[in-house]
Amino acid sequence: MRKDSSPQRPPFRRLLIANRGEIAVRIVRACRELGIESVAVYSEADADAMHVAVADLAVAIGPRAASDSYLSIPAVIAAARQTGAQAVHPGYGFLSENAAFARAVEEAGLAWIGPPPATQEALGNKLAARRSVTDAGVPVVPGLLVALEDGEVPDLSSIGYPAMLKAAAGGGGRGMRRISRPEELPSAVESARREALSAFGDGTLYVERLISPARHIEVQLLGDRHGNLAVLGERDCSVQRRHQKLVEETPSPAVTPEVRRALFDSARRVAATVEFHNAATVEFLLDGEGNHYFLEMNTRLQVEHGITELVTGIDIVAWQIRIAAGESLPAELLDPEPRGHAVEVRIYAEDPYAGFRPVAGAVTAWRLPGGPGVRIDHAVTPGAALAPEYDPLLAKVMVHAADRPAALARLRRTLDEMVVGGLQTDLGFHRWLLDEPGFATGDYHTGLIPERWGDSGPQLDPTDASLAAWLASEARQAAAGTAVGGDAAAQAGPGRELDRAWARQAREEALR
Amino acid sequence: MTAAFELCVDDEVVEPAEDWHVAWVDSEHRIARLSNGSRSLLAAVEGTGGDWVVTLRGRRIEVAVRSWRERMLADAESAAAARGGPIEIRATLPGLVVSVSCDAGSEVAAGDSLLTIEAMKMQNEVRAPRAGRVTHRAVGPGEAVATGALLLRLE
Repeated sequence: MRKDSSPQRPPFRRLLIANRGEIAVRIVRACRELGIESVAVYSEADADAMHVAVADLAVAIGPRAASDSYLSIPAVIAAARQTGAQAVHPGYGFLSENAAFARAVEEAGLAWIGPPPATQEALGNKLAARRSVTDAGVPVVPGLLVALEDGEVPDLSSIGYPAMLKAAAGGGGRGMRRISRPEELPSAVESARREALSAFGDGTLYVERLISPARHIEVQLLGDRHGNLAVLGERDCSVQRRHQKLVEETPSPAVTPEVRRALFDSARRVAATVEFHNAATVEFLLDGEGNHYFLEMNTRLQVEHGITELVTGIDIVAWQIRIAAGESLPAELLDPEPRGHAVEVRIYAEDPYAGFRPVAGAVTAWRLPGGPGVRIDHAVTPGAALAPEYDPLLAKVMVHAADRPAALARLRRTLDEMVVGGLQTDLGFHRWLLDEPGFATGDYHTGLIPERWGDSGPQLDPTDASLAAWLASEARQAAAGTAVGGDAAAQAGPGRELDRAWARQAREEALR
Repeated sequence: MTAAFELCVDDEVVEPAEDWHVAWVDSEHRIARLSNGSRSLLAAVEGTGGDWVVTLRGRRIEVAVRSWRERMLADAESAAAARGGPIEIRATLPGLVVSVSCDAGSEVAAGDSLLTIEAMKMQNEVRAPRAGRVTHRAVGPGEAVATGALLLRLE
């Protein structure tokens, strides 16, 4: 039997996807391959979105604001009931780590495709998670395990400086403060507590030693309901801006076989502290000496799951669904031998030349790469305005090759083939990254972007300015339908779609 | 320079890389291939009139493309604006005046919208190049104008 063979019959008849964008499309694809009918949900902003177009059924669940649509538990549950769905896949983001939603799904008699709600709750509080994994023998960043009570300024002499102040209920960088000197502590505690209170309703803080330089390594887990746990390898997610990932690769160039054994052992121990099944990821920091420290466990599918699928040949999303239906992981899947090297770069609608700030607009030109070893997950419809309410991720460009140098060469070729027009993306950043010595050698850490790219990257290359000027002048001539230089571009170019009046106008100007 | 246009990137005049060949690989989406005999790359182009954006190696580069005539008009306008003397505002494209938001005697600030000309189903706003007083209004809503037609005088 092939190790990732299809099930005898569909695990469910109909499945609702409580998400949008590329991940909803990804889950629809898994459903189709498993013979399951897919149900998309959509807000008013997404009636024409790709995830709606590809799903078998689609239900409108509310207005543009995510809080009234994709984050509305009653609206999503009602859509599931209305369509007779038997299971709910939450994707990532939105309600994927919301234990109340998972419970509501189960109480509605539907299968929840993810780790049990109790597991989500147990790991939701970072301070509690730190305690339980420490008891299980998993290293955590040296720090103060005691919650800081109101007004109390802790003594950090045992941790040392610089230190990181973090919110116990936190995530996404909120409530986090870097503390370089003791004098900074009182005001940092006060502002971080305020931020944590407003973001999470819980102002509990803790302090950790700042591990720097550090790499961000995560381990992918897949467990069934019968006690089988598969460790599907690690991913290196050290290329980050604002504590958020931009590039991931597997295997990590920083992880030796010994470090890998230790990481996998810790990941298994973390999973054993809770009732775990389905897919989850355990995140660690890795310091320069090969020591790893538990950060958190994400009880959901990760954005970057695809590169693990490429090197293992295991369809993680399909197995999430099959596990939720009660299937067992076959023995061949429990200890997979990854093949080759895979890299993902995330193409965001954001301006890396202006602090990676998100940009608005529509993608007008959208030319996707292809060829061997390339996988693109996206949900972009050219010409449609991006909904500013949602995540600005446009596409995940993944490549797979025999080893890291071949994968990077393939990525370079792939990015050369890709053209995005209409708005600024971080495509140019990724091309720069391939030439960055630290990344090329594999010797990089989470400080790569702030230290090497900064807020705006390198100056515009004069050659590129000159090329752009030439192309713009050719485009204007082509658009005018007149060829000052007598170039054939006038006939083949964008001129045809422009009105004759404009062409006439430009001709008149050129003749004057 | 053999090209018909003056080309500016970041307010600086740039010499075009004329030794590269331009071929349109997807004219509907304005994707071009640039090649110089030993290398080639793909780029996206957007724009109309004098304002263009080229996306090259993932980076959006704004290019101002001005014909000699537009350059002279712009130079004359900026000179007049600097002098503070009377200036004539003329149509830069043929179209239909759909609205006028000033009249003779109106005081306007630099950048104020003066009137709107519809051409190609696009609304093109004509703005005041500098502050001043409208001394003459030559057109009204509903009137068709040709290129170069006098629209307003400003002093």
